[in-house]
Amino acid sequence: MKGMLAIYRRELAGLFLAPLAWILLVCVLLYQAHFFLYVLPLKGGEVNGALVFVLGGGVPFWLLSIFLPPLLTMRMISEESRSGLLEFLLTAPVSDAAVVLGKALAATTFLALVWASTFLFAALCQALGAAPDWGWLLAVWLGATLVSALFSALGLIASALFATPLLAAFMAILANITLFGLPFLARSWRGPTGERLADLLERVDVLAHFQGSFLSGALDSAHVLFFLAWTAAALFLAVRVVESRRWLG
Amino acid sequence: MIEVQHLTRRFGARTAVDDVSFRLQRGEVVGFLGPNGAGKTTTMRVLTGFLPPSAGRVVVDGFDVLTHSLDVRARLGYLAESVPLYREHRVQEMLWFQGRLRGLTRRESRTRAGAVLERVGLADRARSLIGRLSKGQRQRVGLAVALLPDPEVLVLDEPTSGLDPLQRIEVRRLIQELARERTVLLSSHILPEIEATCPRVIILQRGRIAADGTQTELVERLGGESFVRLELETAEAPEAVAAELARLPGVQAAEARERAGAFLCLEVRGAGDLREALGRHAAQRGWAVRELSWQRPTLEKLFARIALELEPARAEGAA
Repeated sequence: MKGMLAIYRRELAGLFLAPLAWILLVCVLLYQAHFFLYVLPLKGGEVNGALVFVLGGGVPFWLLSIFLPPLLTMRMISEESRSGLLEFLLTAPVSDAAVVLGKALAATTFLALVWASTFLFAALCQALGAAPDWGWLLAVWLGATLVSALFSALGLIASALFATPLLAAFMAILANITLFGLPFLARSWRGPTGERLADLLERVDVLAHFQGSFLSGALDSAHVLFFLAWTAAALFLAVRVVESRRWLG
Repeated sequence: MIEVQHLTRRFGARTAVDDVSFRLQRGEVVGFLGPNGAGKTTTMRVLTGFLPPSAGRVVVDGFDVLTHSLDVRARLGYLAESVPLYREHRVQEMLWFQGRLRGLTRRESRTRAGAVLERVGLADRARSLIGRLSKGQRQRVGLAVALLPDPEVLVLDEPTSGLDPLQRIEVRRLIQELARERTVLLSSHILPEIEATCPRVIILQRGRIAADGTQTELVERLGGESFVRLELETAEAPEAVAAELARLPGVQAAEARERAGAFLCLEVRGAGDLREALGRHAAQRGWAVRELSWQRPTLEKLFARIALELEPARAEGAA
């Protein structure tokens, strides 16, 4: 994967050089802090419960997971295609896969950093005498990062498909909501459409895979593999879309 | 170094490049000339591996762009027309990024970056934000980025577009310097650019090669005839003057053009430069000469004719 690292580093630096990343970081920090403080009393002051809720247990996390990755990835291909930078990258001696992978990794790294902000609250709790369960937190954080990787890969497909970043972001958010919501649909369809389709849709249940493993603090390779496989499939598709742009011109 | 065989590139129903073939020897500097939309950029994009050809073959340094794209790209320095640069980065960061993309080590990248910035005259702007630079400076940064890996082949798409005349001269001088050691293919729709930098010219028109050769060759072959333009003061009838001049030795035809008061304008065709003979004759007859000039065909006239498709049959015959 020659050149992937170069593109990854450039992309990550680019994210931090633009104001958007910083604004998102601050907003997420405030948002997470609000929910942490809101949930803490409800959980009876149980620190781990509140931390895990913020980091993946609750609706606030899933809202961020659906909306943040598309905002980061929307410009990565569609805007570079407009400015000619994609032409620069695609005429450099690096493969299309390296370009897409570098960008996906950069977005995922940034989101991993965003989720790691919860560790700030954990450290604060530790300092105040309520030691959190770091192993559990790390497992949830890893899960959150894997979810972000999958949604970033979907975002890159959208960014490669659509000409403007705004449209790409909108379509990616729609795709994320669809992927997230499919299992719920499947459950309601179970009667009329028969078992087959419903079973199939439940296979891509992001939420269940997340809850089944990471959220309970037990790392299960099957669930890790689920996210890695779907991310790989989405990235493969993104690479093909970038390739097809060459043919379409 | 570059071999293009029967290259065709279609976008849907539109054919942007239609059966184009040409070769570039190592060290050759060739100018792509043509009106906007003639297929210059598309040809260059196929050459650099950005667009695959619809038909035909492009080989760079023995590597086919379709099957060995990465090998071709590693040998090419390409500056696209849009001068793609990350505006939020500093000049040196952009150059280091290019170094990393090309697999240079950190040290190589840094020394090369210093060297190419020196070369394009931006050594003092290494730490400037690209977004804050002027258009001319950005153009030169783009050139520096293309030059960083020290490529054997340089492909430059409209390297002087949007520059002011002074910057244009600078960039032109830089390209002339670079051309000494490299194979260069550059495009422009501005004729003086090409005339100043490229000994050989390929003129594209509607996706086809309308002419290919050295400037002098093209002018001789396609430029049309030369003639002497003569304007003099005489009261005599235009036809009589023309007939009289036509009888001079070496003159094949003389034609009276327009008359403005006492002045008569004529075009005299014949072998070579007839100015002395005509001048002498006018002096003998006591005609006051107002203009006596040898109108030779130029690349500009040739290009204008091809671009305006004034004589398509003739242009095609030459290709």
